[in-house]
Amino acid sequence: MSVRAPRKGENYELSVDLNSGYADKRKDAIKRVIASMTVGKDVSGLFPDVLKNMQTDDLEQKKLVYLYLMNYAKTQPELVILAVNTFVKDADDPNPLVRALAIRTMGVLRAEKIIDYLCDPLQKCLRDENPYVRKTAALCVAKLYDLKPELVIENGFLSQLRDMIADSNPMVVANTVAALTDIHIAASAQPSSSTSDPGIFVISASILNKLLIALNECSEWGRVAILNALARYVAQDEKESEHICERVVPQFQHANGGVVLAAMKVIMIHIRGVRREELAKQLVRKMAPPLVTLLSSPPEVQWVALRNINLLLQKRPEILSSEMRVFFCKYNDPLYVKIEKVDIMVRLAGENNVDALLSELKEYASEVDVDFVRKSVKAIGQTAVKIDAAADRCVNVLLELIGTRVSYVVQEAVVVMKDIFRKYPSTYEGVIPTLCSNLDELDEPEAKASLIWIIGEYANKIDNADDLLNIFVESFVEESYAVQLQTLTAVVKLFLKKPDSSQAIVQLVLDKATKDCDSPDVRDRAYIYWRLLSTDPGAAKAVVLSYRPPISIPRTTVAPALLEELLGEVSNLSSVYHKPAETFVGVGRVGVDSVQQKGTHASASFTEDDRFSAKKALQTVAAGQQAENLLDFGDDEATDGQPTGLAATDILAQTPAAANLMSGTSSNPLDDLVSIFGSASMAAPTTAPVDPMAAFGGGFGGAALSPTAVSPPPTQRQQVQAQTQQPQEDLLGLF
Amino acid sequence: MAIDGLIILDNTGRPIIQSGFRSTSAAYPMLHVDAFNNALPKSHRSGDIDPVIYVPPYNVADSPSACCHVECADMRILCPVSGDVDPLFAFAFLQTFIDILREYFGALSAATLKDNFDVVYQLLEETLDAGGHPLTTSPNALRDIVLPPSLLSKLLSVAGANLNSTINSGSGGGPFSSPIPWRKAGLRYNSNEIYFDMVEDLTAIVNKHGTTLSCSVWGKIETNAKLSGTPDCLLTFTNPHVITDCAFHPCIRLQRWKRDSSMSFVPPDGHFTLAEYRYTPTATATSARFISTGPPSAALAAKENIPIPFLLKPTVELTDSGGTFEFKLTSRMPSQTMEALVAEMYLGEGAGGVKCVASRGDGGGNLGRRAHDTMSTGGSATGSWTFDAKKMAVRWELPVVPPSSVWLLRGSFTSPSSGPRPAHALQVRFTVPSYTFSSLKIDQLKVTGETYKPYKGVRGKTSGNVEWRW
Repeated sequence: MSVRAPRKGENYELSVDLNSGYADKRKDAIKRVIASMTVGKDVSGLFPDVLKNMQTDDLEQKKLVYLYLMNYAKTQPELVILAVNTFVKDADDPNPLVRALAIRTMGVLRAEKIIDYLCDPLQKCLRDENPYVRKTAALCVAKLYDLKPELVIENGFLSQLRDMIADSNPMVVANTVAALTDIHIAASAQPSSSTSDPGIFVISASILNKLLIALNECSEWGRVAILNALARYVAQDEKESEHICERVVPQFQHANGGVVLAAMKVIMIHIRGVRREELAKQLVRKMAPPLVTLLSSPPEVQWVALRNINLLLQKRPEILSSEMRVFFCKYNDPLYVKIEKVDIMVRLAGENNVDALLSELKEYASEVDVDFVRKSVKAIGQTAVKIDAAADRCVNVLLELIGTRVSYVVQEAVVVMKDIFRKYPSTYEGVIPTLCSNLDELDEPEAKASLIWIIGEYANKIDNADDLLNIFVESFVEESYAVQLQTLTAVVKLFLKKPDSSQAIVQLVLDKATKDCDSPDVRDRAYIYWRLLSTDPGAAKAVVLSYRPPISIPRTTVAPALLEELLGEVSNLSSVYHKPAETFVGVGRVGVDSVQQKGTHASASFTEDDRFSAKKALQTVAAGQQAENLLDFGDDEATDGQPTGLAATDILAQTPAAANLMSGTSSNPLDDLVSIFGSASMAAPTTAPVDPMAAFGGGFGGAALSPTAVSPPPTQRQQVQAQTQQPQEDLLGLF
Repeated sequence: MAIDGLIILDNTGRPIIQSGFRSTSAAYPMLHVDAFNNALPKSHRSGDIDPVIYVPPYNVADSPSACCHVECADMRILCPVSGDVDPLFAFAFLQTFIDILREYFGALSAATLKDNFDVVYQLLEETLDAGGHPLTTSPNALRDIVLPPSLLSKLLSVAGANLNSTINSGSGGGPFSSPIPWRKAGLRYNSNEIYFDMVEDLTAIVNKHGTTLSCSVWGKIETNAKLSGTPDCLLTFTNPHVITDCAFHPCIRLQRWKRDSSMSFVPPDGHFTLAEYRYTPTATATSARFISTGPPSAALAAKENIPIPFLLKPTVELTDSGGTFEFKLTSRMPSQTMEALVAEMYLGEGAGGVKCVASRGDGGGNLGRRAHDTMSTGGSATGSWTFDAKKMAVRWELPVVPPSSVWLLRGSFTSPSSGPRPAHALQVRFTVPSYTFSSLKIDQLKVTGETYKPYKGVRGKTSGNVEWRW
């Protein structure tokens, strides 16, 4: 017996009432006990007294007692055993509600001693005549498996569950599917069992038919469970894929958003097996309306829907092509909704709706919220780069915005203008004076660097280019590295274009960069320029003023292989984060390998060098991180030892789980770091300055280091761009 | 897996009720409460917290989780999820749970839930399995197993009567014996009635020239059915083509809708939402039919054809230390009266010294004025205004706006030294009783399978939310 509370105080009074001769007094006391329990008071001392009230005809009272038991079973395991008899008796009660309640509670108690008594009643309840009891029992099997899997197997509950998929009641089918899925996931999480066992819940063709039939008849939650199971099914042939799609499409009209997105996931997976072009088109067309419908929901649901729409559009840009107006932002929308909407609007932009888009974006750029204003200005730049015919109009809007002289608007606009100069060289030179007149307004490194790049690029057309650059050369040592690098390159460009008048300034900047600067990148670049200029000015011209491939808006923000994987996960968290699930859930952390795997898959066209430099960069970053944490470098070497190139692709083309094992499921900051970068681009060199080649490329690619990216976080996307645009081959040749 | 449980927080961020979290460590729910409370002050505006918060694991061995949350009256409901699950699943469940709470307690507040914690606990247990699977969420079935707190049951329990006899007896079919999951068997009503409420909601953005930029009308058919037995209803419309993008209650037979646009269903008992739809003006239907080959912009323009029921002329002038504004609102409704019209404008951080004069213009409203003079008293004859110092917004309220009446609000405000940065838009909300934009008409309701003739009622109701930029 536990120690009795003193004979006074609240608990004592409760205990007296719990033992009262009057039923209603006892019930009231139980309620008060539960009330104390909820506010965190310890009422575990009343366990025996509460237990006495378990045998009652009053269902509500029984529920409350059970609630109490569930809360304190963990702390009072010896006492719980006293309740076993009542539980077993209740599992045989004539009232189905009582039977179901008893089975459910026993499954939740998680007390070893109770579990042993659970099997017999559970056996009976799985065959109960009442569907409510059967479906409760089905879920209970999953819970039992969680605690003691061997009991489930010994008692043959698994095969019983498999039989129950054919149950006449759709709710029982749905819950059985949910239970089997839970067990399947739990079993495959343990590597030992998954290798020997082909899988707990294998969906066969006959099960498929049963699921499709039950789908239309069960509750919304049951539908989600069934749809998730269907998403796992591997269709045998084209006909089956078509059949599944046709049966699932009506679910788009369900009022519950969860069902709609789960159905969308099934379609996205099985549409891959549909060959008939017109059917595929028809299916895609049917996806748009339910997505738009979700936009009339509360903002939280809207956000999830928008994130998914953003993903779907990357694969199938046509689905919402005429619906841009639905995504117009309202002033009162929460920021997280607005940012997503702007992203999607740019995705949907075309020549026919660009005017509406631009006037919207201009409107947003005058709002109060700084983050949103910047996002809108960026979006204008993206539109200009995306739609050639609208570039003029975009530039005019940007000029208007610069005219407002609001500091952050001007800075963002300058950054964006630089992208437009890259895309349309020598088209908008008339704008340059306006930009230069705002020189004093700029205080952010990115904006400064952008303006310097523009000055250097058009040095021969700007009369006072040397005066302007002189301003930055004078304050060279105080500027940030990004600005220093750009100043350096711009001055060299100026020199190559106007060698007569700028001898002095180029000497000065090279001198400052090599002697007074503490960044190795800046120094290295200065030395390279110096050597180039002093040995062969022609070669210098070829390098510094070489042709740059035009930039474009990436159609996708994630690697194609990852996109395919994410689309298979539509409606899951991974599609909301736009990251593979392993990066934020799962047993181990994601290693370089599994991330690389996707990267290498995605970039079949990448050259060996790209891949190598990418890996190098990742490791450099990781090593730096490790050094800071004073961890050993063992892992770093291990990854270095991995075969690169094609061999790596072969080995890494295994499941992410296997890759995880290979890299060791270590709790190593490297893994975290890589998984963070991994979300944007698996193979991008993450820190250009560290890698000499990338740093050199920065002279050209520096221009590309710009937020032409489409979604946050911007820094990651920029590097994707820089990566794809660097004319690395040319460079290597010169070396 | 999936939904780990629910935590209900009061407005100070303290949990008042939470589900058991029996399969996770004791610290788990607290981690989520802390994650939410930490995210709260970081948001710009109160509603701006990311709806899915990433919650790092407490132990290295645990896997991280995510916290979905929604606001509900003066409370926040958190829903921790772990594993790669669908956040919409969590949000859909949260919404369903809130609906259930409303069904049980009417208007919600932290105090109501605290008073009825025993019922809330029972509901939690019945709706969410410890394994993360939602169980019974249909109010029809729930009412069988969890008794709503009513005055009657309180009275009876005081008198010592055993009201629970119905749910305690296993005989007579009992709960969950119905073959239709959303309807319980053996219902009996003395008077059989079914009511349909067509509730439509207009959302629109209008630019400073008065051109509608984007405009959509979302509708719902809210139904209250009190029918005996197992009635099979067939609802037909005279103009079903005005609605598109329908989402239906599971009771509706989708095949039938596809065939002839009529809704055939066995209704749940009590209140439920039969269908949701989007209104597309007939112009779209016709233009789409005639110029299906034309440029998509033509169809697009036609889609925006829903007229905004009022006209607003905002004039705002800004100076270095504040500004003046004048809003002129004219009702464009032909014969209906708009009610509870509220226009709001954010005046920017630090705004103050708001002085306004609300008046009623003389345009065209004589007839309307006479009709309303008798019932409207001083305040509502001119409209009223307030300044919400917390939201930094001036609010203009017009309780009754008769057809083609004109209203005016003139005022000024001051701003701190950095200059005024007000919102460039007014948010206008209003309702119109007995009116729908779509004028979706029910042709007839046929009830088969039962012998009685039910009493039928249809009602329309419209609300609007318009952003008017200047």
